[in-house]
This record gives sequence, structure tokens and C-alpha cells, in this order.
Amino acid sequence: MFDFEFGEDLELIAETAKSFATDALLPKLREHESARAVDATVRASYAEMGLAGLELPESLGGADLGALARVLVNEELAAGDAGAALALDPLGPALYPLLEIGGEDAVREFALPLLETDAARAIFVDAADAELEVGTTISGSVPWVPSDRVDLLVLLRDDEAIVVRDGIEIQELRGSGMRAAGASELTLTGAPIAARFEGRAEAARARARARLYVASLLVGVLRQAADFSREYAIEREAFGRPIAHHQGLTFLIVDMLAAVDGARVLLHEAAWRLECAAAGEPAAAMAFAEAIETSTFVGPNAVQILGGHGFMQDYPVEKYMREARALGLSIGGLDAAREDAWTALADAGSHVQLSHLEVAP
Amino acid sequence: MNFEIDAAIQGPLAALRERGRDEARPIGLEADRLGRPIPVDDPYFAKLVARGEGRTRWRGPDGERKARSKPKSTGSRPSRRTVKTLLFVEELAYWDRGVVVANPGVGLPEANVIAMGTDEQKERFLGPFLTPDRPRWACFAMTEPGAGSDAAAIQTAAQKDGDHWILNGAKCFIGNATRSDWILAQATVDPSQGRDAQRAFFIEQGTPGLGGFRIEKKMGLKAYESTSFTLQDCRIPDANLLGGEARYEKRDGFKGAMKAFNAGRPIVAANAVGIGRAALDEALAFAREHDRLADARVRDRLERAARKLKVARLLCLKAGWLADQEKSNIIEASMSKLVAAQVGQEATSLGMELLGTVGARGDHLIEKLYRDVKALDMVEGTGQIQRIIMARKLVGLPR
Ligand SMILES: Cc1cc2nc3c(=O)[nH]c(=O)nc-3n(C[C@H](O)[C@H](O)[C@H](O)COP(=O)(O)OP(=O)(O)OC[C@H]3O[C@@H](n4cnc5c(N)ncnc54)[C@H](O)[C@@H]3O)c2cc1C
Repeated sequence: MFDFEFGEDLELIAETAKSFATDALLPKLREHESARAVDATVRASYAEMGLAGLELPESLGGADLGALARVLVNEELAAGDAGAALALDPLGPALYPLLEIGGEDAVREFALPLLETDAARAIFVDAADAELEVGTTISGSVPWVPSDRVDLLVLLRDDEAIVVRDGIEIQELRGSGMRAAGASELTLTGAPIAARFEGRAEAARARARARLYVASLLVGVLRQAADFSREYAIEREAFGRPIAHHQGLTFLIVDMLAAVDGARVLLHEAAWRLECAAAGEPAAAMAFAEAIETSTFVGPNAVQILGGHGFMQDYPVEKYMREARALGLSIGGLDAAREDAWTALADAGSHVQLSHLEVAP
Repeated sequence: MNFEIDAAIQGPLAALRERGRDEARPIGLEADRLGRPIPVDDPYFAKLVARGEGRTRWRGPDGERKARSKPKSTGSRPSRRTVKTLLFVEELAYWDRGVVVANPGVGLPEANVIAMGTDEQKERFLGPFLTPDRPRWACFAMTEPGAGSDAAAIQTAAQKDGDHWILNGAKCFIGNATRSDWILAQATVDPSQGRDAQRAFFIEQGTPGLGGFRIEKKMGLKAYESTSFTLQDCRIPDANLLGGEARYEKRDGFKGAMKAFNAGRPIVAANAVGIGRAALDEALAFAREHDRLADARVRDRLERAARKLKVARLLCLKAGWLADQEKSNIIEASMSKLVAAQVGQEATSLGMELLGTVGARGDHLIEKLYRDVKALDMVEGTGQIQRIIMARKLVGLPR
């Protein structure tokens, strides 16, 4: 029965991530952005928290925590700096195709070594985001990945995962957001395929987990953007009162916070579903779609609330606006998420039960 | 964390679904077609009462004494009453929200009377609802022609006269007023004093001076009556002042009235979700029948409506869950009502769009839902008022 509490263990993890984000990431937001990297002391203190193996099975030395732990941690880290959150996680969503389709052996072979390499990055690419020809080798390009290095590329297609280690040419880009993690275009010319794992249902599950990964970063950014602009609007005065008390802004601020809460509760429900119940895949697609739609409302309006100051880089809201938009473009973006969410709805016959998206008897 | 609707709730939900489909939906459609509230003597109401519905949740003098003497067990499982209620309300509203409001029972004033009433008042006014001999109703009258959202500005005057009060004023849009045994009416002892001067009175049906009843013609929700009336030198005994005079020395007469609305907000939200869900099901069925689902524009809009309803439902259940945990839920309750009324409206409007000119005929269920759902953005505080309530907490908006 309904319980909106995460439980002590998860709350403790979220708290740890939150204080790290507040103390270590937030103050260095611009520094990390211009360095295109997270500085070594911050990386070291992140490593001490032991979040790297959060979702790895115990047999591989991980904490074996599931989707709920991941979305909570990502949300907190991204509220500090979404770029840094990506930079600090060597595996990122690339773990999911390996684990879900390839299984523990694949993780042992391809992912674990990266945990031993300083600043290593495994890169997840959804086939929808790239123009790649797959034969006995793989060729084509990936327009953007949030990294300046690629130790491992995991390509997720509808029915398989393909692992590539070599033959990847990296061209640095300015990047629209998440620069703390880097930004590059990848070109593959006859790159050898290191491994190939097949399974349609497993691939769908991997994609769902990847969507939750990105959606939780998005929700973290949006929560921070809404909170920052709310606090600013209480302090800033115009026409003799706080701008937050002019009803045009009062209502906007309240609507932004409601939108973020809505996206957030959908995200948590989807994570719970993926971890503990049925129909997690369409729920994750829905949660991703909701986070993206919310980003188009909250991102630009957070800037608007600060007026001209919002446009300047002395405040972080312009960064939130850029990053909220960029995060929502991957894994096929809004359209692919909506199509996947729709599929479950279409299968539901004539009576849609919103809790399950299942047919009622 | 858990979002499961367990078997203990699935069962009753399935029963409600059946009754909704077989009883409420057809009666609601008929009332809508005829453009009048379900008559007081409709056999449907008698049937409900015979089945044990329409009772107060007040447990009676004995039940209350028992509950008081029982020590509050610590570490017991938290209540899930509100969450359960919200799920049931959503299911009922799916079939017909107007019929639900028309159903016999104490309705809106119940929470206030239980919280603020004296023992004697509970016995007198709630007692008949313990095991009612016939369909009985009660109602809560706050809104006036000149003051709705600004509830602190009501003008209905209460003047002390010996051991009586003399009430003068007008109320409007009051649900079930002509058929109510009593009306809990909000009045002021001094209009210049705003909220602090407000009192609530039980006005019994038939009290001289209570009259001028006018059943309003509404856009939707026609199954129940929304009635305007006047109070002209209406003499009310002291015993009918809710909670007794001592209660108001603490100046919480207004607060008490608002409490009923606070508790009601997630319920209104659940109603809006239920109506929206009905519209979505109908729209999906219509689109499927007419081979519209190959069109990505149609699919996208249906997906969005389903997603937004899911958001609203989760926000609503969260507000209810907080209430069950005895945690503050003022922001969440207002948020759920604000969001649900909007997305419920959007779902019905999308339904109309998919119907095309079939929606313009005026005889499709979706068209009725489109009219019905709008009221949920008004009752118990408009969407604008919900934002103001939230803003007091979120940005320190002054009163
Ligand atoms: C079907 C139905 C049933 C009802 N049943 C009952 C009942 O049983 N008992 C009862 O007491 N009442 C009942 N009502 C009345 C209902 O509570 C009021 O209609 C509602 O509170 C709004 O008040 P109003 O109609 O006077 O609108 P107004 O207060 O005049 O509002 C008009 C518009 O102004 C906006 N507005 C007002 N103040 C502000 C502000 N400060 N900032 C921004 N916008 C503002 C409102 O949001 C609204 O859009 C019912 C209403 C309906 C439609």
C-alpha cells in the first residue's frame, strides 16, 4: 500500500549525496565548467563516499542498490552540478546494457576495469542518438557525448548491446551544457566490435534504466532552478515589494514548483516500479517525458524570474536552462519516450488504469 | 516506497466500479438529460440508505467515549483512511461525480462538526445519521453572492438577542440545501472584523426566515442541487452555535470553517482525476473505433493526457498519505487540487477534440464530462486561491 517514504537507508544515501553536492559541487560549478573536468580533490572525496558501485551486484563488489537509490543520488548530485555528476560516474548508464543484456560476466569484463582507472568514462549511446552502420565492424558518427574521453562505448539498439573499445576518434566540442563532463563528437571508422549481447526485453529494460538515470539528473537540475529562482524572488524587490509578491510571478513560481514536484513523484514511482513491480519500462518512459516537458517550462522561466541578471553568468540559472534542455535530448528525446509510453497505453484495451496502465477486469 | 494498490482495496474498488457502472452512470446521464437534480424521493436514494450508505462516520456517543478512554497505542501502523478514501472517490467520480454529491449523507460539514461540535450538538445533528431511517442530507453554507474566494468578507450577520441569534443575509450555490435536515451556515458578528468575527450556526430546515430557495441552473453536475437562499430575521437558539460561544474566544471560528476546505482539497483533486480518467477511456475507445490511433498527433495527445492524470493522481495520493501520517500537507493538498482540476479539464477537452463534431451534438458522455469537470476548479477554493495558499508558505506572501 502507498508509502511515499524512501526508508532510512535510502534517505541516508540521499543525504550524503546532498551534502557532497552542496559543499563540493555547487561552489565550484563555474570552475568545473570551464576546466571541462572535476578537480582532483573533489574526485577524491567523491570516491570516499563509495557511490561508484551503487548499482553493481554484490557478487561484483557493489552495493546492489537499485533504481530508487540511483534516482535519489542523481537528483541530489545534479542539484549541485549535473555536469560534475556525469563526470564523477565512470560507468553512467553504460552499465545498464552490460548488466541487463550481457549479465555479470559482461560487467566484470568491460566495466570493472574502469573503476580502477582514474577519471575513466564508459559512454552510453542510444542508437536513436547516432548515425552508425553496424556490420562486422561499426562506422559512423555520434554527434555529441558528454565526455572528452571514451574508454568504452556501449551502443544500445532495440534488441542488442554492442561494445566498442577501439577505433573511436574524439573531436572536442564546446557543448551546450554539462561541460564539467566534457563534450565531444565521436567518429567511428570500421571500429572493431568487442562484444555483442542480444535480447529485446533486456534491451528495453536497459533503456528504461538509462531514461531514469537521465530523468533524475534533469529533475535535480529543475528542482534547483525552481528553488534558486524562488529564493531570489523573495529577496529581490521591485515596485516596493518582493518580486515574488507580484501575482504574475507568484503564480509562475508556484506553478514551477508544482511542475517539479509532479515530475519528481512520477520519477520515483517509475523507479519503484522498475525495481519492485511490473510495467517499469513504460513508467520510465513517461517519467522521462514528464521531466523533459517540465524542463521546457522551468528552465527558461527560472532565468526570466531573475530578469537581466538571469542572463548573466554570475548566476547559475542560465546554466540550468542550458543543461535542462540538453539533458532531455538523449535516448531519442521526448518523442521516443512518448512513443514508448504510448505503447503501453495502446495495449491497455479500453479501460486505462493509471496506476498500472493495465486493463481492468 | 510503495505505490501498490493492495488486494484489501482492490476488492472494494471493484465493487464500486460495478455500482458506478450499473447505477451512478445511468442516473447521472438521466439527470443531465432532464436538466434537474435527482428527486429527493428517487428510489435510488432509499436503496442506498437501505444498503447502509449515507451514514455519518461519527461513531456515536458510546463509540466516542470508548475511543477517548482507549490509550493511543504507540508504534501502531499509521492510518490509511485518507488514501483509501481518495482512491474510492476517484473511482466514484469516474462514473458520475454529480451523483456522488447528490448521495445522502452529512457531506461537507461533517469534519467540522466532529472537530468543533459539542457532545450535545453531535448527538442532535449527527445522531440521526448514525443509522438513518430515510435519506438525509446536510450542507455547509459559506459562499455568498458578494463573497466567494474572499471568504473573510462574508456579510451574513448574526446579532445576539437574549439566548438567541438573529441571522440576516444570503447564501449561494449551496449543495443539497433544500433537502438538508440542517444547514451549517457561516455568519459574522461584525463584518468590519473580518475572519475573527465569524461563527457557524446550525439552521434547521423549516426555521422561520430561512427561505427564498432557488435551485440554480448549472452547466454541469446537474444530478445534485446547488441552491441559493436568504436568511431574514432567522432566530437561532444559542445551542445551535457550533462549538458554543467559548470556542470563539480563541478566535478560531474562521479557521474551523477553513479546516473543512483544507481536508477536502485532495478529495476534489481525486474527483477531477476520476472525471479525467473517464474522458480518457472514452476518448481512447472512440479513437480506436475510428482508426485514429495510427496518427502520431492523436497518440501524443492521448499519452500526454494519461501522463498528466497520473501526475495529478500521485500528487493527490501523496497529499492524502501525508494526512494519514499526521504530517502537514497544506502545500501538497493545494497543489493536488490545482493540478488535478487543470489536467482533468484538459483530458475532457482533448476528448471533445477527438470526437470532432460528434462532440458538438451534445449527447456524448465526453461532452457531459467536459461540462462537469470545470466546477472542480471552483469549489473549495479556485485554482488561483490554491496558488495563493501555497505562496504563503513558499514565498511568504502576506495575507
Ligand atoms: C458546483 C458548485 C458547487 C458549490 N457548492 C458550494 C457549497 O456547497 N457551499 C459553499 O459554501 N459554496 C459552494 N460553492 C461556491 C464556491 O466555493 C465558490 O464559487 C468559489 O469559492 C469561488 O467564489 P466566487 O464564485 O464568488 O468567485 P470569486 O471569488 O468572485 O472569483 C472570481 C474569479 O476571481 C479569482 N480571484 C479571486 N480572488 C483572487 C485573488 N486574490 N487573486 C487572483 N484571483 C482571484 C477567482 O479565482 C476567480 O477566477 C459551489 C460552487 C460551485 C460552482
